[in-house]
Amino acid sequence: MAATPWEGELVNDVKRQFGAQILEASSYLDQNFFVVAPEAVISLLEFLRLEADFDYLVDLTAAHYPDRENQFDLFYILYSFARNERIRVKTSIAETATPSTAVGVHLTADWLEREVFDMFGIRFDGHPNMTRLLLPEDWQGYPLRKQKTLIDMDNRWVQENLGIESGQ
Amino acid sequence: MPEPTFLDSTELVLNMGPQHPSTHGVLRVILKLDGEKVIGTECVIGYLHRGVEKIAENRTYTMFAPYVDRMDYIAAISNGLGYCLAVEKLLKVEAPPRAQVVRVILTELNRIASHLFWLGTHALDIGAITPLFYTLREREEILKIFEDYCGARLTTHAFRIGGLQYEVHDGLERQVKDFCDYIVPKIDEYEELLTNNRIWVERLKGVGILTADECKQFGVTGPVLRAAGVQWDLRKAQPYSGYEKYDFDVPIAHGADTYDRYVVRMLEMRQCVRILRQAVEGIPEGPILAKVGKVIKPAAGEAYVSIEAPKGELGYFIVSDGSTQPYRLRVRPPSLINLQALDRMVRGGLVADVVAIIGTLDIVLGEVDR
Amino acid sequence: MKKFLRTIFLVDLLQGLWVTFRNQHPKHIYTEQYPAERPKVAERYRGAPRLNINPDNGETLCIACNLCALACPENLIVVTSERNEQTRRKELTEFTYDTSRCMFCGLCEDACPVDALELTQDFELATYTRDGLIWDRQLLEEGPKPTPYRF
Ligand code: SF4
Ligand code: SF4
Repeated sequence: MAATPWEGELVNDVKRQFGAQILEASSYLDQNFFVVAPEAVISLLEFLRLEADFDYLVDLTAAHYPDRENQFDLFYILYSFARNERIRVKTSIAETATPSTAVGVHLTADWLEREVFDMFGIRFDGHPNMTRLLLPEDWQGYPLRKQKTLIDMDNRWVQENLGIESGQ
Repeated sequence: MPEPTFLDSTELVLNMGPQHPSTHGVLRVILKLDGEKVIGTECVIGYLHRGVEKIAENRTYTMFAPYVDRMDYIAAISNGLGYCLAVEKLLKVEAPPRAQVVRVILTELNRIASHLFWLGTHALDIGAITPLFYTLREREEILKIFEDYCGARLTTHAFRIGGLQYEVHDGLERQVKDFCDYIVPKIDEYEELLTNNRIWVERLKGVGILTADECKQFGVTGPVLRAAGVQWDLRKAQPYSGYEKYDFDVPIAHGADTYDRYVVRMLEMRQCVRILRQAVEGIPEGPILAKVGKVIKPAAGEAYVSIEAPKGELGYFIVSDGSTQPYRLRVRPPSLINLQALDRMVRGGLVADVVAIIGTLDIVLGEVDR
Repeated sequence: MKKFLRTIFLVDLLQGLWVTFRNQHPKHIYTEQYPAERPKVAERYRGAPRLNINPDNGETLCIACNLCALACPENLIVVTSERNEQTRRKELTEFTYDTSRCMFCGLCEDACPVDALELTQDFELATYTRDGLIWDRQLLEEGPKPTPYRF
C-alpha cells in the first residue's frame, strides 16, 4: 500500500498525547488513518471523542492474516460531525489477544464487537454480553477466518439442525 | 427477599417474532414487560444470514456486484452504487459524467421507492391498510422504469464498476418526467390521508424518542437522525457521484419522535423529485463506462466509501491485496446499526408502540443479517 | 372553536375517507389479469435463458468458448465441447444451465462474445421437480413451454 504520511494539527495533538504508541499516521486515497499499539486504542478513541469531536463510531471490523505473527487487524472507522471528517484507527493483535471493549466510549460498539467475535472469534475484554450475534449459539468455528473454506464450514450444525448436506 | 411466587411476579417475557408480520421479515424481539410497559428488550437476529462478506472473498470484484443487491432488496440500486463507488475508489477511477447522472436518477428513484414501501408497511403496522395499496401502486411505476432500463425490477444489478453496463433506453427522460408529475399529487394524497388523521397522530406523536445525542452514540443515521434535528446527509456532507451539482434541501424536524420521522421522509421524497427534475434535464452525452479493463485488479490497500442510502449511511470497507478478489469486504449496514437503538427507544413505552417503533426505524432484515 | 368543530365532525377522518372514495373510480384499476392476459415485459427483461441458433442453417451460434461459465458468479453453467478433427474447431456437445441457482444477473450474457447466450422475456420457469430446473441444451435452444391455461 503506497500510503503517504498524514500531517496536520490533529496528528500533532495525538502524537503529543500518545507518543510512541502511535506507530503510523498516513493517508491512502485521501483517507487518513492511524496505526496504533493495541493497548492505546481505547484511550485514543476516548481522546478523539472528547478532544477532537469524533463522536460517531461508523464501523468496527477486523481482517484475518493467518501468516502474520499478529494475526488480526482491527479497524475502527470514526466520523466527526463537527469537522465533517472521517478517520480510521487500525491496530494489529495476536490470535489469543483480548482487546478491551469500546462500549464504554461508543455504544455502537456493542453489536459490532459481537459481530467481530461471531465472525473472527476475537473476544473483547469487558464487553457486557460477548455472545454470537448472527450465527446460532452452538455454531463451531469462525467463518471469516481465512483458513476455513466455504464448503467445510460447520457441516455438523447444518446436518443436525436442517438435515441437509451443506455446500453445493 | 422472599421467593417470588406466581402471583407477585411482575415481569412477563413476551416473544415477538420471528414470524410476526410487523417485524418486516424475520426479526425476533424478546420483550420483558411489566404490565403494558416494556422494561427491556433483546433482539435475536441472524435468521437471514447468508454470509455476504464471506461470499465476497470468494468472488471477483465483478462477480460480487449482483450479491449486494440482495442485502437491502428494497433499495438494491443504492447498494450497487455504494459498492461500485468503493471499488472505483480503490481503482482510482471515476465514472464518466453521463454514467454519474444516470446513477443519480436511478438512485433517487430507488429512494422514493424505498420510502414508499416504508410508508405503506409502516401505515399497515399502525392499522391503516389503505396507504399500502396506494404506495405499492406508485412504486410499481418506478419498478417499470427499472425494468425498462436494466431488465430486472428488484435485484437490478444496474451498475457496473466504472460506470454502467446498459445504455439509456429510449424514453427514460420522458418516463422520469412523467413520473415526477405523477408522484407529487400522490404524495399530497398520502398526506391528506395521514398527516392530520387523528389516529395516526395519536399513535405516533411522542413515541420512540431518540434524541440527537443518543443517535450519535448509537451511530444511528438517515431519516432517524434528521428527525432529531441534525441536518446531516452524506449527499451534502461528502458529495459523491455528482450530488454537489444539484440543488436540494435536507429536510429536518425537531421532535425526534416517530411522527417527525414520518414527516422527514415525506419531505425527502419531495426533494428526490426535485433532484430528479434537475437530473433528467441534463443527461450529458459521452461514454458510459470508464476504462477499467476486463479484469478488475485494484492495487493493494484499503478504502472505506459510504453513501446515503434511504435507510442511513451505507458503507463498504474493502481491503484489497492486489488480486482479483477482495481480501476482506465489510459492509456497514445502516439497518443493523439503527436496529441497535431499538432497545433505547422502546424502553418505558407501551407494548403496542413496539410495532410502531420497529416500523419507524425502516429496517430490512436482509441487510441486518446479510 | 374551529378546531372543536373539526373534532366533532371528524373532518380529518372524512378527508381521508374522501381519498379512498376517489380511488374507487374504475380508471384507478391496476390489477393485471395474469394468466388470462400475459403481461408485457420490458425489452431488456432478464428472464429465461436461451441458446440462440443461427436461423439460416439451424446450427448453434455457441462456439464453446466457456466464457459464460467463467463469468457466472454461481458457477452454474457447464459447457462441454469436443474437437472436430476436420475443421479443427471446438464444437459444442452439451450445455447445462441450472436455473435453480441462477440469479438472472446477466453477467453470462455480457460475457458471451457471439451473443449466443441470451436472457429472454420468458418468465414462466416453474416446474414440478427440482430436476426440471436444470436445463439442457435442447431446452435452452427451444425455450420453455409452459402449460397454456384456458378460461
Ligand atoms: S444470469 Fe448470472 S447467475 Fe445466472 S447463469 Fe448468468 S451469470 Fe450465472
Ligand atoms: S460464452 Fe457464448 S459462445 Fe462461449 S460458451 Fe458461453 S454461450 Fe457459448
